[in-house]
Amino acid sequence: MKTNTCSVSFSINGEKKTFATRPDEKLLDLLRREGYKGTKYGCGQGTCGACTVIMDGRAVYACLLYAMQAEGRKVRTIESMGTYDKPAPIQQELVAAGAVQCGYCIPGIIMSATALMETEKDISDEVAKEYMDGNLCRCTGYEKIWVALRRTLDRAAAEPKKKASKGGKK
Amino acid sequence: MKLCEFIRPATLAQARASLRKLGPKGMPLAGGTALHFMPGKTPVSAVDLTGLALSYIRQKGNFFEIGAATPLSDIQRYRSPRWAMHEICRRISTHQIRNVSTIGGNICRVFPWADLPVVLLAMNARMVIYSGKAKEMGADEYFSSQPARLFRNGDLLTAVKIPVLKAQHGFGSVKATRNAAAFSMVTIAALLELKDGRIAAARVAAGSAIPFPKRLRSVEAALLGKEPSSETFRAAAALAGTDAKWCKQEGMSAEYVAGLAEVSIVDALERAAEFARGRTA
Amino acid sequence: MKRHELAKNFKQVNTSVTKIDAMQLALGKDSYVADFLPAGALVIKMLWSPHAHARIKKLDVSKAEKMPGVKCVLWHGNVPRIVHCTAGQGFPEPSPYDTFMFDNKVRFVGDRVAAVAAETEEQALAALEAIKVEYELLKPVFTLAEAMAPGAPVIHDEPEAHVPIPITYEPKKNLVAHVACEAGSFKKGMAEADFTFDETYETPYAQHCPIEPYTSMAQMTPAGRILITTSTQVPFHCRRIVARTLGIPVQKIRVVKPRIGGGFGCKQEILLEDVTAMFALRTGRPCLWRFDREETFRTGRTRHPFHIRLRTGVKKDGTITAIALECINNTGAYGGHGLTVVSCSGGKTLPLYHCDNILFDGKSYYTNLPVGGAYRGFGATQAFFAIESLMDHMAEAIGMDPLKFRQLNHIRPGEGSPIFQALGEGREGVPMTVGSNALGECIVQGAEAAGWEKRQDWRGKTGRYRRGIGMCCLMQGSSIPDIDMGAATIKINEDGSFNLNVGATDLGTGSDTVLAQIAAEELETATDKMIVYSSDTDMTPFDVGAYASSTTYLSGEAVRKAAAEAKRQILATGAEMLGVLPEEVHCEDSHVLTRDGSKKVSYSDIANYSLYQKNQYQIIGTASHITKKSPPPFAAHFAEVEVDTLTGFVKVLNYVATIDCGTAVNPTLCEGQTEGGTLNGISYALTEEYLFDGKGKMQNASFADYHIYSMRDRPPVKAILVPSYEDTGPFGAKSVSEICINGPAPAIGNAIYNATGARLNEFPFTPEKVLKAIKSVKR
Repeated sequence: MKTNTCSVSFSINGEKKTFATRPDEKLLDLLRREGYKGTKYGCGQGTCGACTVIMDGRAVYACLLYAMQAEGRKVRTIESMGTYDKPAPIQQELVAAGAVQCGYCIPGIIMSATALMETEKDISDEVAKEYMDGNLCRCTGYEKIWVALRRTLDRAAAEPKKKASKGGKK
Repeated sequence: MKLCEFIRPATLAQARASLRKLGPKGMPLAGGTALHFMPGKTPVSAVDLTGLALSYIRQKGNFFEIGAATPLSDIQRYRSPRWAMHEICRRISTHQIRNVSTIGGNICRVFPWADLPVVLLAMNARMVIYSGKAKEMGADEYFSSQPARLFRNGDLLTAVKIPVLKAQHGFGSVKATRNAAAFSMVTIAALLELKDGRIAAARVAAGSAIPFPKRLRSVEAALLGKEPSSETFRAAAALAGTDAKWCKQEGMSAEYVAGLAEVSIVDALERAAEFARGRTA
Repeated sequence: MKRHELAKNFKQVNTSVTKIDAMQLALGKDSYVADFLPAGALVIKMLWSPHAHARIKKLDVSKAEKMPGVKCVLWHGNVPRIVHCTAGQGFPEPSPYDTFMFDNKVRFVGDRVAAVAAETEEQALAALEAIKVEYELLKPVFTLAEAMAPGAPVIHDEPEAHVPIPITYEPKKNLVAHVACEAGSFKKGMAEADFTFDETYETPYAQHCPIEPYTSMAQMTPAGRILITTSTQVPFHCRRIVARTLGIPVQKIRVVKPRIGGGFGCKQEILLEDVTAMFALRTGRPCLWRFDREETFRTGRTRHPFHIRLRTGVKKDGTITAIALECINNTGAYGGHGLTVVSCSGGKTLPLYHCDNILFDGKSYYTNLPVGGAYRGFGATQAFFAIESLMDHMAEAIGMDPLKFRQLNHIRPGEGSPIFQALGEGREGVPMTVGSNALGECIVQGAEAAGWEKRQDWRGKTGRYRRGIGMCCLMQGSSIPDIDMGAATIKINEDGSFNLNVGATDLGTGSDTVLAQIAAEELETATDKMIVYSSDTDMTPFDVGAYASSTTYLSGEAVRKAAAEAKRQILATGAEMLGVLPEEVHCEDSHVLTRDGSKKVSYSDIANYSLYQKNQYQIIGTASHITKKSPPPFAAHFAEVEVDTLTGFVKVLNYVATIDCGTAVNPTLCEGQTEGGTLNGISYALTEEYLFDGKGKMQNASFADYHIYSMRDRPPVKAILVPSYEDTGPFGAKSVSEICINGPAPAIGNAIYNATGARLNEFPFTPEKVLKAIKSVKR
């Protein structure tokens, strides 16, 4: 049987787009092909987390999703998270804490941390670790990543609840 | 597995019709994680079940009903005093997988390392299957062999019903792994019903270290009528070998795994007893 | 002021400057090899050997060549047969030349058979399936005993196999290397001992697991040269080895290293670049080859497993009278790093403790298993497991606290060891005395942080879960003396910024940042004035690459010297502008000032003057550096564990890793190195292993089955930097990166003993092994 081409439409970093794809193309390959290259290939088997993106508010492995599964959904990649002028708090803290060594895992770490912050309230260490257990890092031993994450969470918790309407749906 | 088509039915009936028509060339897809690891060169058509409103958890009478397309992370986050499913779900794989992988996907095709079938066997869950109309099947029958047999005609699993735990119930599970995200070496789940300080009913199930999850009937029988003590649990767990032939795991011998299973059974029973005591206290 | 307090005067060095590429990486900007893939690139896929040992009788690629999208197929019938060595080492390499781009023989499951370059990955994979191969199966060799047995199958029977320097190499006996030395008389030392020991140890395979797999890309430049953009620790060695393997001049090749997603030693190997370059040359198209994770495990380099026999003698007063360390490593199917890893297992460990009678014997053998390579720790890791386990054993025999036993015996500042001279890397080492050494302080601070004083003998412990504390001491080196060379160039720009071009290779460690700090310190300017560009064979000076714990110490000193040369020019021009003699000015805070500070010009003014205004020239400094010493960093590690005595599961509760790396050029990065390497060592000790089937095929080649730690598994790891000052290093620095990985296996092993009385001479400490050892403990 010949593999068909097809198209998929979804919101990517807030922009609605339609992409040509194939039924068995993985979301990771589509994203990288379309220039969202901050999302990394690390294992292709849903084990390392380098390809983590946020889909409808949840952290997912782009290597274990068919692009077609993104139809009608909201996908966010590292490219939406910050800029040199205005990095996201988690990016600031990771950089400041010295948590970025080789940096290959870092976009995925940021996406998982973002999903955590947007989903949970009063985040305990235990819950934070459960959200981060799908992102492997071989350089840092996670010490500085953990420090940066905890600081970001504590900073967000100390802020007035202006972001209450964003995320947290459940 | 190669996909040649991606079908998005709007209703259960449409999904069933598609799968019936496609036969072996059709593949139901919810989270879809397992598809990436399935062998097979012949492309199949994926039938996406995520648009069928099958992702929910609600309490209905004596059951919690979990939609078949509910991701594990939702089960992990759900809380109720009469419910214990979150404990196992937070221990399965990684956060990103739990966000995608569904309860249905975990039990429609049972992989040897799967934890949920073990827990559902112990909890005496009921599976709701759609075959034009809804029918229910108990866990013992459902897991008597590979459940894929039930879905050959395009029939679909739509929900899993978990009995609401009663005051005298205690539940405990143990998942022995090399690290947090690893596949289980041994999974044990135990449900105890206590009455007047004695074990009135027991369901103990095992998985991972055996070819297919199953209840440990000799262990259960040895518990009945006894006081829920460590001695009782140890004596009962010692009988596990008559129910299950343990396999080697991760380079470790079958003999070691048998010992690990025995300790895990005792631990699961201790947790179940503690759970029950905590609830009646 | 104490020596180590000198570092307090520095302004750029010894401060935790933000890593200069950190924000780029955190924003997800294009940084790594695959991010720079040009449009229209071909995808490379390799057909790997399914057999451990076989001769290829027939190989037919004709059908594959005609498949849709296929542009080129490479196999032993259509590439030059040039013997070489894939290890990225100095030249000539202290490793056998035993590898061809493609051969008519396969030597392990995962060896190359044939490669396809096609328009898409699917097409390349389909073409692989169309390649027909007929194998003649040969008897495989899976253990050291099988490799050493008389009449064993010869893994390298090709006539070309040879070593390029005069070292022992007997491929007919599967012997890759043999190195031995004796200082004093081991026999005499044993006769003087009150207690003698004779133990054997086994250490396992492991993979580095960088999250970026091996990735390499090659394309033809408009000028007809080959541009290789690759994830490597050794760009210059890569250029040299690819040139040799393809039979083309070095001049035709440019190797560029962008950001690297981790290496830990595995990318000190030329495993992909010859093939990507050959495909680019043959097709004229850009070609990308990226290993998948399974390939990284099977074909990627690994840590050499060791079989170690360790004999020692000790007197009741704690004097170690004799040590005989015999190490045999299994180098797998190819011999790169076989000799040097086994040499370092003696050279980087035996000087740690006083002993007049030391014998070392190191051998390396081929087998038909995955190939050993460079891996953080490089032999010291394996040997320290044996030595530090036996140190505890000896201490117990003489009734001494194991910490005190080490304090009594460890090397002091100003002391040497005959081993430094006896064991080099492929040749004799250099005689050396230890300058900086804060090991004593490491032990004291580590013991306090780990709560050593609460440690109790295992015999009093009861219950299912038992806790124990273990420790170990460690050393490593800093670069390979008299062999490694690093170089740097620094030039000024109009705004007082500088281009710092270094051969040194930042593979994620932060060396670009550290080198910028060193340059800024020497130039008395700010680190953020440095534009660092590293390791591009066309654009930067030479450097051997990132290995042997050399970058800060060796390349750092080259940078300091280059900066000093640029500074000399800045002072001269500044003096000219101020109308005084060069001796009358000094640099301070990006300015040149007269002695009394009354007149000054900024670096920016000096740059503009020298570039545009008068006596124009480029202020530029270039310098190279080799070292005469390899000053060891020192460390003391402490582990606290809890053992489930019913199942054998071990949980690390707490870990303390001290480190004396001289001046910590960037303390945060030094901590990061220590924390990361230590956690890697912890999973190496407990959960990482290669499981083989009976035919030499790894059974667990994925992160699902090969267990490295996640944030959820991580025990708290506390890194403590204990300062010293290494006079021969840049601003007192020596190395930091490798040493930490040596600690967890012995420290956890000793902690398991302290918890349960079970002594394990083999790791990973799997639950089954631990339980078995516990069951055999006699109280």
